[in-house]
Amino acid sequence: MNSHEAVERLIYKSALALDEKNFDGYLELCDGAFTYTICTYSPEIRKDMIWLQHDKEGMKTLFKNLPRHNSDHSPLTRHVTVYTVDQKDDGTEAEVVSGLQVYKTALDGGATSLYAVGKIYDTVKLSGDSVSLVKRNIRLDTRELGIGHHVPF
Amino acid sequence: MSRNSAQWHAKPNLPETHYVDSSIYTSEEFFREEQEKIFNKVWIIACHESEVPNAYDYRTFQHPGGENLIIVRGDDQKVRAFYNICPHRGNTILYDPSGNAKNMTCIFHSWSFDTKGNCVDITRGTEGYQNRIDKQDVCLREVKCDTGYGGFIWVNVDDESMSLKEYIGDALGLLDECIQPEMEVFHYHKAIVNTNYKLWHDTNSEFYHDFLHYFNRITGMIQPGYYDRKYEGYKYGHASVGSMEVQYDKYAGSQKRGVGWPGLGPGGWILIDLFPGMTYNLRTSVLRLDTAIPLGANKVAIEFRGLGLKSDTPEQRAERIRDHNTIWGPFGRNLHEDLLAVHGQGIAMREGTDSKWVIQGREESSTIHDEVGMRHFYAEWSRRMGRKASAPQEQGKIEAA
Ligand code: FES
Ligand SMILES: [Fe+2]
Repeated sequence: MNSHEAVERLIYKSALALDEKNFDGYLELCDGAFTYTICTYSPEIRKDMIWLQHDKEGMKTLFKNLPRHNSDHSPLTRHVTVYTVDQKDDGTEAEVVSGLQVYKTALDGGATSLYAVGKIYDTVKLSGDSVSLVKRNIRLDTRELGIGHHVPF
Repeated sequence: MSRNSAQWHAKPNLPETHYVDSSIYTSEEFFREEQEKIFNKVWIIACHESEVPNAYDYRTFQHPGGENLIIVRGDDQKVRAFYNICPHRGNTILYDPSGNAKNMTCIFHSWSFDTKGNCVDITRGTEGYQNRIDKQDVCLREVKCDTGYGGFIWVNVDDESMSLKEYIGDALGLLDECIQPEMEVFHYHKAIVNTNYKLWHDTNSEFYHDFLHYFNRITGMIQPGYYDRKYEGYKYGHASVGSMEVQYDKYAGSQKRGVGWPGLGPGGWILIDLFPGMTYNLRTSVLRLDTAIPLGANKVAIEFRGLGLKSDTPEQRAERIRDHNTIWGPFGRNLHEDLLAVHGQGIAMREGTDSKWVIQGREESSTIHDEVGMRHFYAEWSRRMGRKASAPQEQGKIEAA
């Protein structure tokens, strides 16, 4: 398998893992130095905003805490399309840009609606046959998220 | 034993100030009356001065009374508010939520207005109107506007209203020192929820629902000082809740807060509700400001702002943002829980569900789980509406509490 294909598989697996709330599986795809950010730009206050930011340990704790909270349990479906994969010259890392659409399906009745759109900017570590997420930056276009959500995108 | 229909509809065995009829949350008729008798009479926060820092900066604002407004800073540094309606053929003048415009020019036929509301250009004016219409006759409608209480920009669409100072009175006293330093908005988001705006303000007016929040149970409810926090009511329906020391390190992944806030004790938390739908929520390192904008009886847009200090270093700001995001923001633990609850109320109590009473009857010497904050709100609501919240179908004069 070439590295481009391996990178794509990694990105898609990460979406599948979160869709299935397989948080351990998600964290297995992440490097020890992993950082996760959800950000967006507000034209109201004309500023970039960070809405969620954690390192790997922070993500682990977040996933552990979530069952203790009251949450909307409507499942999310992440549709990701890898647009570009740019490998560094030395072949150790790749910058990946993907499109993201998040759909929400109501538990009662199962109606699905588009919940959020944005882009994912990933830095992927390549070493031999293995690939891992070093940095994930989700940049949302959607800012009106209704009652919000506890599970990261 | 469960109750039959008659028992379900029977008035609660409490004083009539201690419950409300749920139709105040569901009736479109009451909602339109609230717009007229409440929202179009009182002072409302439109934005913060840091959102219009320079001359000609503007913000648009959807006023809860229904009007669309422009907030703009003039070259004299004064901030003014106008209807965002072109006096020609009623187009929206400013489309973007923010921007900078020396003259505000309507895209439709290019009439132009300055930041004082004067019409400065009618394209091909004399050719079309000869001397029948003058620029003076078609200026913008100005709305009362004032800045204060932490640099917020307030508007009042009632030309005859009392001053902002009189309207707020002593209500923000607990925050006096805290809102002296210059602040800056770092977070803004809007949540649209199918529920009544008062249900959101009610949630901000009672802490009994800390049972909803795992975070607050762990860091607050089981900690010393929690039950000492007290409510105080002020004139015109405002209410405050005093501070305690929140034990942030009791929540896994959270930590003792470092940056704090001038005038607030370590881990402190002061919350002030302003009638009819604004809340100052200063929690340790962040001021959260909620503005509820009803869009119908069962629909509300809530504007959420997070503020830090203008003087913040990048490290301090980053810490405030982290603290903010842990519990607030669209992915925060507490905000989602609060919104989930009022969303549930919106489903349970919408018209036709045979909902009837909402009980606000807890009395605990005005301490944290007392429901006096909501009762205080509904006393003012009843006075302004001329309807008792417990029996809103009857109309008449109601005295202030
Ligand atoms: S509607 Fe604005 S210029 Fe005609
Ligand atoms: Fe809450």
